Amino acid sequence: MSVQSVEKKLEEEIKSEFPYADNVDWNEVYQRIIYRYSTPHGLQHVKEELYKLEDEGEIIVHHIKPENNPVEVQTLNGFPKKIPTTKLWHHKSCGQCGHIPGYPTSVFWMMNKLEVDYLDEPHQTSCTGWNYHASGASNPVALAGVFVRNMWRAYETGYYPLIHCGTSFGHYKEVRNMIILHKEIREKLRPIMRKLGMDIVIPEEIVHYSEWLFVMSKKAAQQKKYDLSNIKAAVHTPCHVYKLVPEDTIYDPAVYQGRRPAAPTGTVMNFGAKIVDYSTWWDCCGFGFRHILTEREFSRSFALFKKVIPAVEEGHADVFVTSDTGCVTTLDKSQWVGKAHGLNYNLPVLSDAQFAAIAMGADPYLIAQIHWHATDVEGFLRKIGVPVDDYKEKFLQYLQDLREGKAEPQYLYPKHRKIDFYLALPDRVKWYKGNK
Amino acid sequence: MVNKALLSTLPDDPRYLDASYNVQGPLPEEDRNLLSNLKPEERELAKQFWEAVKSDFRFNEYLRGCLNCGVCTSGCPAAKFYDFGPREMIQYMMRNEVDKIWEFVNKKVWACVQCYTCSMRCPFNNEIAGLIMLLREYAVKFALPSAKEVLAPYRRVLLTVITMGNQVTPDMIQPDAFPDWGPQAVEESKNMDVYRKAIPVDLLQRTDIGWHSSLQTAVEIMTIFIESGVLDSIKKIDKDLYDMIMDIYEERKQTLEEIKEKWKKGELKEEDLPDSWLEL
Ligand code: SF4
Ligand code: SF4
Repeated sequence: MSVQSVEKKLEEEIKSEFPYADNVDWNEVYQRIIYRYSTPHGLQHVKEELYKLEDEGEIIVHHIKPENNPVEVQTLNGFPKKIPTTKLWHHKSCGQCGHIPGYPTSVFWMMNKLEVDYLDEPHQTSCTGWNYHASGASNPVALAGVFVRNMWRAYETGYYPLIHCGTSFGHYKEVRNMIILHKEIREKLRPIMRKLGMDIVIPEEIVHYSEWLFVMSKKAAQQKKYDLSNIKAAVHTPCHVYKLVPEDTIYDPAVYQGRRPAAPTGTVMNFGAKIVDYSTWWDCCGFGFRHILTEREFSRSFALFKKVIPAVEEGHADVFVTSDTGCVTTLDKSQWVGKAHGLNYNLPVLSDAQFAAIAMGADPYLIAQIHWHATDVEGFLRKIGVPVDDYKEKFLQYLQDLREGKAEPQYLYPKHRKIDFYLALPDRVKWYKGNK
Repeated sequence: MVNKALLSTLPDDPRYLDASYNVQGPLPEEDRNLLSNLKPEERELAKQFWEAVKSDFRFNEYLRGCLNCGVCTSGCPAAKFYDFGPREMIQYMMRNEVDKIWEFVNKKVWACVQCYTCSMRCPFNNEIAGLIMLLREYAVKFALPSAKEVLAPYRRVLLTVITMGNQVTPDMIQPDAFPDWGPQAVEESKNMDVYRKAIPVDLLQRTDIGWHSSLQTAVEIMTIFIESGVLDSIKKIDKDLYDMIMDIYEERKQTLEEIKEKWKKGELKEEDLPDSWLEL
């Protein structure tokens, strides 16, 4: 066949396969493709708009300052993200404080150890993201109002907000984008904030505590008390930490070649444990927001079959480490029930904060509060050489003394004044911090 | 083979360019006969519902086209357990299928666990989990039966979060409510008082609230929920809950104002205040 006839045949084939090729406006097709593959929430775009709105006086931006001693890391697409490491305002998690109290106390304890300046106040609310994702009983303006009110309380103290909950973290990123990209939301929000004596304030970066812990982990691990080199740790990265507004989650080439989020895997690595992989690493824990309360058949089945069993059978894990409220709860509480079907699993579940604090020598009961966990955390502690029985005896005595009024509760930072439980007073930081 | 005449006239909406269909864009009512699949008494409501969702400012931003590839459903944890999948929802939305949307919102939408796996993986960057939230939000707004059913066991949580600014109460862990959590939950509820006291942070020592927020904070979050219209939706679904929240709001707002006034005048004596406003 001659070259010409091959070309002619080719043309004919193309014509018969794509009969509309001549009639279609290809430019229009390209535009559609660009539209469909693009995202209106591109992080770079959001950031540009944020600073534009600041210049126009539409919003106040809470900047990360040199006094926050920031560390620069990379996000999914390679953009830099600043992680403040000190002068932090704790945005606590309701589920952690309610059911896994050793989670926030481990964070406070490590901050004390690492001499990090922080503020923890009664002037914070839940992000209401749990309620929203479970029930749908909220709306964009309410969600924005809750976010901005909390951010304002941090802003007025000069301390930078550090978000404890994975859902708050992801949810706040989404709400931030919405406030920045939608004037109509700002217009409805502003009068509500004014009524509360506040304005619209947005922090420059939304930062999760697990990111803080990751950037601090090498330094923290220098104070490690126990050897973890024999420990095989499976990690569950919480969905709302890296799938909700995925672009500003941090990644590090040293952690799975940057194919998994840096935190909490990198933290566990930096503390010297061996990371083990399992096929469902990307799957959800089964929490489901409303499911953990009213559809637990789903939660416990999913947690056990899709997370715990693969981590044990494939990864031979000694411990399950994760970095969000719902995930610790679901993975920890869903194992016992397996016994009903002869599935005897008891894989200890810890947050990265508890894991790190315990490795640094924190009291497993008083600080890591492991008695709130259902799984065999004590077994894990024995494996790394923690004198569990001594700690336990001391703690049981402490509980007894508290019951009988023979002991006063101990505190990680000075108690608040009575008035702080009523009003958010302008002088409060001065009072908390003395002359600092 | 794709119809030449149709593809040479693409619809205005840039989301439609779909070689798997002859007709680009939503099917006309005459072809698909959607409304006849709806019960006559529900037809108007279903239409209004769908129109309301479509006119929300997030709808077009979240829905950017669909390849019908199924990537979303293949990674969906809820799809492994329930008769539910995000792909079907996106397809109903793309095809403007009011009857199927209505069925989806009344039967399936609550199965989603909001993990955002679908959103992260969708090659078209659809914010799928966000679209699910949109349907749920409007189900509550329209006080649909499925929303009522879902919210019924959720009342206490709603009350706590709106009036105290905190979603969680430690003492909700009762062995009879959480028998599947095993003996540890029994231990926990038995020792709740002293366990809480042994947490070394003063904000975390109550059994009835995750952390003790300030009175001002509680009033502020109620103000936000009221002013933004959330309470209007709750009123339609659960009038008793609405009344309860409004009563608490009025009372606490007044207490707060009195305390603020006294403080401004320098007349407030801290020792006269009860240890906690929750005991007022
Ligand atoms: S967010 Fe919902 S629909 Fe999407 S993958 Fe998760 S459970 Fe499925
Ligand atoms: S992943 Fe996206 S494009 Fe594929 S079926 Fe789901 S919504 Fe459609």
